[in-house]
Amino acid sequence: MDVLKTLFILLIFPGGLFVLANGMVYEWADRKLVARLQNRVGPRWFQPLADLLKLLAKEEVVPESVNARLFVWLPIVALAGVLTGALYLPIAGLQPSYSFSGDLIVAVYLFSMLTLCTGIAGANTNNRFSLVGATRTLTQLFSYEAPFLLAMLGPAVAAGSWKISDIMAYSSTHPVILLQPVGFVIALIGLMGKLEMRPFDAPEAETEIVAGALTEYSGRGLALFYLGRYAELIAGLTLMSAFYLGGIHNQLDYIVKTLVLLLALAGVQTLMTRLRIDQIVGLWWRYGTLLVLLQWLVTLLLKGMVL
Amino acid sequence: MSEAVVQDKKRFVVPIGPQHPALKEPGHFEFTVDGEIVTGATVRLGYAHRGIEKAVESRNWTQSLYLLERICGICSHVHAMTYCLGVEKLAGAEVPPRAQAIRVLVAELERVHSHLLWLGVAAHEAGFDTLFMYSWRDRETVMDLLESFTGNRVNYSANILGGVKCDVTPDLASAILKGVDFLEERSRHYLNVVTTDEVFLQRTRGVGTMSKEVAERLGVVGPTARASGVARDIRIEAPYAAYADFPVQIVLAEAGDLEARFVVRIKELFESYRLIHEVIDKLPPGELQTRMPRKIKAGETISRVEAPRGEAFYFIKSNGSDNPERIKVRTPTLCNMGSVVATAVGHQLADMPMILAGIDPCFSCNDRTVAVRDAAGALVTWESLRQRRLAHQENK
Repeated sequence: MDVLKTLFILLIFPGGLFVLANGMVYEWADRKLVARLQNRVGPRWFQPLADLLKLLAKEEVVPESVNARLFVWLPIVALAGVLTGALYLPIAGLQPSYSFSGDLIVAVYLFSMLTLCTGIAGANTNNRFSLVGATRTLTQLFSYEAPFLLAMLGPAVAAGSWKISDIMAYSSTHPVILLQPVGFVIALIGLMGKLEMRPFDAPEAETEIVAGALTEYSGRGLALFYLGRYAELIAGLTLMSAFYLGGIHNQLDYIVKTLVLLLALAGVQTLMTRLRIDQIVGLWWRYGTLLVLLQWLVTLLLKGMVL
Repeated sequence: MSEAVVQDKKRFVVPIGPQHPALKEPGHFEFTVDGEIVTGATVRLGYAHRGIEKAVESRNWTQSLYLLERICGICSHVHAMTYCLGVEKLAGAEVPPRAQAIRVLVAELERVHSHLLWLGVAAHEAGFDTLFMYSWRDRETVMDLLESFTGNRVNYSANILGGVKCDVTPDLASAILKGVDFLEERSRHYLNVVTTDEVFLQRTRGVGTMSKEVAERLGVVGPTARASGVARDIRIEAPYAAYADFPVQIVLAEAGDLEARFVVRIKELFESYRLIHEVIDKLPPGELQTRMPRKIKAGETISRVEAPRGEAFYFIKSNGSDNPERIKVRTPTLCNMGSVVATAVGHQLADMPMILAGIDPCFSCNDRTVAVRDAAGALVTWESLRQRRLAHQENK
């Protein structure tokens, strides 16, 4: 019975299928919001699902010049990484399925698997656009990852624990967004970098390098990468709500807080022009990292004074 | 990385086109990059050659008008007007002033639609889709006006040899003025956006800069030249149609970068709105057309018109028969294409689509065949091309 329960948690709820389904709904909401803000009609509610089914039904073309095993496994590893990471999060307002001291670090690194796999997938092919896209993907990874992690660790430092549920308990009693506004902004923008949303979509800038690192992917592989991104959207929004927006206590809490964040993301996407990769790196290292470090210093000082 | 790329590591070439999301029409660009920095650029055109110049030689003067109008899907009126002005000059026909004024009116409405279209495309190349969507939504206003004016959205066929075939009714005049006033307000907003949006300016200010000297040396035309401070506008230098009665004020910028090209094109919109108002206010009364002979007197002439992208040039030769003997078209994109290659080097790969879009390229219009040579370099005649085609069909 225990095995069945574990499998249910891993594959169906709250991990696995539920995260994917939730991700598709949020992806649709994001696309619809951006479309409405841009004066477009936008997709119908089942569009991400329809895209997924279409891709899954299509032939997966493995290009000649690639390492075929790597080509096939990368999307699986990427999706598995995100889904595993999601198990440590309070998805849908429930207690995390698994939890241990230091799970925050593990989860954040599992979420980076997607970007890493995308980069390797691009470098694996012989396509010029993929190679340029892979370079940009990895460059972007190295620029936002440190500030994003630091921004996520901000509440952790304040809470004095690296366990997600402990930090959430702290943020339920403290207005973290007011105490660490810089961290909130950096984490939100970092999430956009992770999800390659505009203005950080240089790695897949269609007018320059077609589809970037994933140009050679089709069918199942592309579908899995997309699913990974949907799941990452859910994971990122949950983590942000749990840490900065006062925690997630029930289902309504979850829906309202993540949707508010999604609205903010859609707004930024609509307002911004795509940045060049050098501008992205400059933005993160020149401002992002410094500001978040400053935030850390202030947090530590405040903590020292209170204690 | 696979072998082919490793072997070519010294020259990493990113091909853009003939099929590429950045290109709305086929053209081929090869950018040699060092990391993200472009170190070399080449351009290859000719993918959309349609043989229109040759085809008009076997059509009569009237039929040719409709074929030439289809050279460009954006500035179709310009092509028809350039051709008509040239043929009327050859025939010595006096076109009524009302017809000439209406030609100007349609030409300026077309310029409005073309510049708004460009604004959207250029914003899209920079990844600013919101501006793209908004400017194209507003562009529908002028498309609707053109449709209610001429009956068509794209190939208006407002011109006929010897005049125009559509008139401005009082209802239409007030509709045009209302639409133009709305667009003027919107354009003011867009000018504000492209000159103050910090993120957008990062992608346009100082990018693709072309100095006045380079612009003159490369012989660029139209808004691309005017953004570099070169005062070149056929409407002012050699007024045609009714432009002598409705003078245009030139819009210049000095910077020569992408921002200047945005500013020049949007400010030209204001100039077009002013002209549209003026033409409608002072539309001369009278006939819309004059009779034209079926055969045009032998002779040759040139005809120049300021298209939205710059100078459109026609050489027209008649041998006194029903059909034109030779018509040569040169569209502004061809003059401006050299500036893409010249300004690309040293910029980032990410800037390439914008630099390319900065000249407002129109590929199928500029593709001409001057001379066809075989692999050995010998000139291929029209007759041997015919034989080749027949042989090819037989082989099928």
